[in-house]
Amino acid sequence: RAPAAGDMLPKPRSRGRPSSQADRDGGRGGDSRAARSAVAEEAPSTSRGAGGSQDPRRSSSQGGRPADAPLAVGPRSQKQLELKVAELVQFLLIKDQRKIPIKRADIVKHVLGDYRDLFPDLLHRAAERLQYVFGYRLVELEPKSNTYILINSLEPVEEDAELRGDQGTPTTGLLMIVLGLIFMKGNAVKETEVWDFLRRLGVYPTKKHLIFGDPKKLLTEDFVRQRYLEYRRIPHTDPVDYELQWGPRTHLETSKMKVLKFVAKVHNQDPKDWPAQYCEALAEEEDRARPQASAPSQAS
Amino acid sequence: MQGSSRRTGTMTDVHRRFLQLLMTHGVLEEWEVKRLQKHCYKVHDCNAPVEKLEDFIHNINSVLESLYIEIKKGVTEDDGRPIYALVNLATTAISKMASDFAENELDLFRKALELIIDSETGFASSTNILNVVDQLKGKKMRKKEAEQVLQKFVQNKWLIEKEGEFTLHTRAILEMEQHIRETYPDAVKICNICHGLLIQGQSCETCGIRMHLPCVAKYFQSNSEPRCPNCNDYWPHEIPEVFDPEKERGAGLSKPSRKSLRPRQL
Repeated sequence: RAPAAGDMLPKPRSRGRPSSQADRDGGRGGDSRAARSAVAEEAPSTSRGAGGSQDPRRSSSQGGRPADAPLAVGPRSQKQLELKVAELVQFLLIKDQRKIPIKRADIVKHVLGDYRDLFPDLLHRAAERLQYVFGYRLVELEPKSNTYILINSLEPVEEDAELRGDQGTPTTGLLMIVLGLIFMKGNAVKETEVWDFLRRLGVYPTKKHLIFGDPKKLLTEDFVRQRYLEYRRIPHTDPVDYELQWGPRTHLETSKMKVLKFVAKVHNQDPKDWPAQYCEALAEEEDRARPQASAPSQAS
Repeated sequence: MQGSSRRTGTMTDVHRRFLQLLMTHGVLEEWEVKRLQKHCYKVHDCNAPVEKLEDFIHNINSVLESLYIEIKKGVTEDDGRPIYALVNLATTAISKMASDFAENELDLFRKALELIIDSETGFASSTNILNVVDQLKGKKMRKKEAEQVLQKFVQNKWLIEKEGEFTLHTRAILEMEQHIRETYPDAVKICNICHGLLIQGQSCETCGIRMHLPCVAKYFQSNSEPRCPNCNDYWPHEIPEVFDPEKERGAGLSKPSRKSLRPRQL
């Protein structure tokens, strides 16, 4: 029969699959398939992929699991936990691709579901996998914020850019320039000053830019949402002015020294040519090298 | 089939950088994968000999196993080029796309997928796909918007477009084969030679069996009188050439390298 579109919906396994596949795979007899679907049913499911976990091809290795294994609210098997961690790792990777910080509430809603009581343990295991397998550190954006981002623990290398599939984002250039400006000007800069500076580079708040698109939106909305920048209104200013500072993601992903080196390179000079900034950058490096008791770091 | 007795490999920064960059593509041709591998060795470990690609990938896959992901090797249906894709083994097949697309967009993909599977050629015309736009679940989508969504699928390498018609990208086949076989057991076509899912291929006009183009190429290689392996009737189609990686390397060298104009990334 022609399958209805509904068949393709990721449904809970209890709805049953098309019956004709029972004899397709010699290894799956009727009984073992029933057992397997029962087993698959209580496997954790994401709210999006409501079909629950499709049994991985290694169904043979699940042979040891009893067909009457308890439902998800009871004790969970190693396999179920492993699968949950796998889903969580994928969720974090996909979400971080868009550079939007990931909220604990979203993790619980979209991935953990009934497993929400295991959040700390599962997140910790996911963090360990992310670091070991992919080289990403899972970091809480600010202490107690329950919001997370991934930091690359591998140093990006120039040639990486040529081999990437997604071309990174061209807007990174603009971000780097603004981060440099903010640092060189004492870690905070008025929005009006930023545009005065960018105008000289042909970037205007009101004019569409060939590479950056809408620069005003980028600086005051997109980069802020991604937590690269902070955009605060300066009180008692008339006309209203805003102040731009580094956001928490910037502090986590880069350093004053790295940004200073970038600025120096652009001017074809040495970082030491700016003694005040150089000292400040050094101090930050020393600060970071010192192990801190209250350092906000890995989710634990 | 991986058994649990397989010794898990070790990840080093070479493997991690490789995985990170591979993830930005989703799917890559073999020569690109080799180039990526060489790059990662160069960055981290200049002196170590570059491991054979098959072993390199096997090593990484043994680590990925516990994450229910795999770097799978496949072959393009139209010209038999080897490709590698990072596929998701655990959650339902469409779920990887689920994070990137809205409900109505996913439904559009499902509809296109069905039309492709039901078609004789493995291609669904843009017109036929757009005609079902008003049956989609979720927010109402106009045809104009649907055209853009289809292009998004092409850009993200889920579909391939040829002359206004759409078929499945090899990546989609690699990722969704199991799901497709289970969901459309009666409608799916299978290759008589490799027994894999068949979307595009050639068919015997007498008995109806089908073969992938690369499978035809290999099976009838240097056979001056190709005959159907099933009914022995004369095989009526042009026999394609077997993919030759050496010839491809010549073409690969002429690809322009993409120079980055951006300053160093954060």
